[in-house]
Amino acid sequence: MKNLGNGTTSRFISLSLLLMITVGLSACATRPPADDLFAVAAFEEANDPLEPLNRVLFKTDQVLDAALVRPIVNGYRTVVPDRGRQSVNNFMNNIRAPITLVHDVLQGEMSRARTTLGRIVVNTTMGFFGFFDVGEQIGLPYHSEDFGQTMATWGASEGPYVYVPLLGPSNFRDGFGFMVDAFVVDPVGWYLGNPRNNLEWAQWTSFGMLFITTKDATMDATDELNASSLDYYSALRSAYRQIRASEIRNGAVAPMDDFDEFDDMSAVTVAPTRQSASISPEMPDTLLRSN
Amino acid sequence: MALRFTALILLAFVALTPFSSAQAQDPAAFIGEFSQKGISDILAADIPGDEKQKRFRAMFDQYFDIPYIGRFVLGRYGRLTSDEQKEKFGTLFEDVIVQTWSRRFSEYNGQTLKVNSTVTDGDTGAIVKSHIVGNDGTNIAVDWRLRERESGYQVVDVIVEGVSMAITYRQEYSTVITRGGGFDGLLDEMQKQVAAQ
Repeated sequence: MKNLGNGTTSRFISLSLLLMITVGLSACATRPPADDLFAVAAFEEANDPLEPLNRVLFKTDQVLDAALVRPIVNGYRTVVPDRGRQSVNNFMNNIRAPITLVHDVLQGEMSRARTTLGRIVVNTTMGFFGFFDVGEQIGLPYHSEDFGQTMATWGASEGPYVYVPLLGPSNFRDGFGFMVDAFVVDPVGWYLGNPRNNLEWAQWTSFGMLFITTKDATMDATDELNASSLDYYSALRSAYRQIRASEIRNGAVAPMDDFDEFDDMSAVTVAPTRQSASISPEMPDTLLRSN
Repeated sequence: MALRFTALILLAFVALTPFSSAQAQDPAAFIGEFSQKGISDILAADIPGDEKQKRFRAMFDQYFDIPYIGRFVLGRYGRLTSDEQKEKFGTLFEDVIVQTWSRRFSEYNGQTLKVNSTVTDGDTGAIVKSHIVGNDGTNIAVDWRLRERESGYQVVDVIVEGVSMAITYRQEYSTVITRGGGFDGLLDEMQKQVAAQ
């Protein structure tokens, strides 16, 4: 599956992209009229022109989540104790670390690249194939990078927000990055996916484990968000975009103007690469009364 | 009468002094104090849940600049709302946060807050970077955005693993307002949420 020369794979990718674009265009949210400044600002800020479609996909995901994903994760939690799950997470982090290494380098973050390389060496050997995170204990903390983040540091904007059933929140940039990482960048995937090695089963197992460990790691937080929000869809969208923006900044706190410019009409900016349309504070009073 | 009044002033002064001086220290000490007090007086305290919520509300009022957070969350909609709506929003918003946090108190299991560093944030602000460290090795990054007020520092935002509480509420509420029944629709939904707890 991971072999790029494989015709089925590339056909699958082109088909999915085509489907995404067709369905996407037909389900665009209507842009609010230009004179409704509040609605326009909210529309720009949400970065979600596909919202009607996304909300349908989100509802589908919630049904799948209750029927399929949750029982699997709960089963996983019952069978594997806390410490065991931590080891599985460590293992998954380690086999995905080469992706991070590639992107550390592509982003010119050489110090972080050294940390990642050190972690791969130490965790694969002393950490028994990655099941134990020895790196964390000797001052080589974990971080993750992906092609979406690299494209962001190169100046690419998020692109419209998309909600993918089973996989969760994303956007055009990060979704494309995810596919490139899975099918092009990942060296472990290249090795497992090579038909000569007869290890496709291991590759599928790895995909499955990645899915389960990701859901296991995020389920409690998203449940909490669901319980505490009025509109779970938009709270999750906001949280996802903030997490990505934070990852792209490598954990640095968002600049202050994200927070303090609220007395005027400017939209809050979440993404570091994109300036939301801001609206002149000098609005005629008639517009303010129109809502 | 005058004596009682003087005694009252004195008492208030004595009661406020240690707090004011602690606040004047530095942002990291302020957050350290907040977390210690939160753990000893609320999270680890052997008191009923109602009492925990009451104590948290008092602490939240003292350590957080709630009106400022409310104004930020309202954002551009602040211009459209009447004073009456604003006041109603302020009360509901505080209730929503107090209830949201209180719901998790029973899950407390010996976690501690480790303050890592402080960076300046604007002219009168600071961000305290910290981690919530659990016994099981869990590690959650929490950044506290502070602003200096006349009484000392106050928290204006809590950023958990990159997700700002204020921005999330602001964006969610903006969606609720534009999709639903405007600002009164939001107030209704918040009212329902508070009543359901």
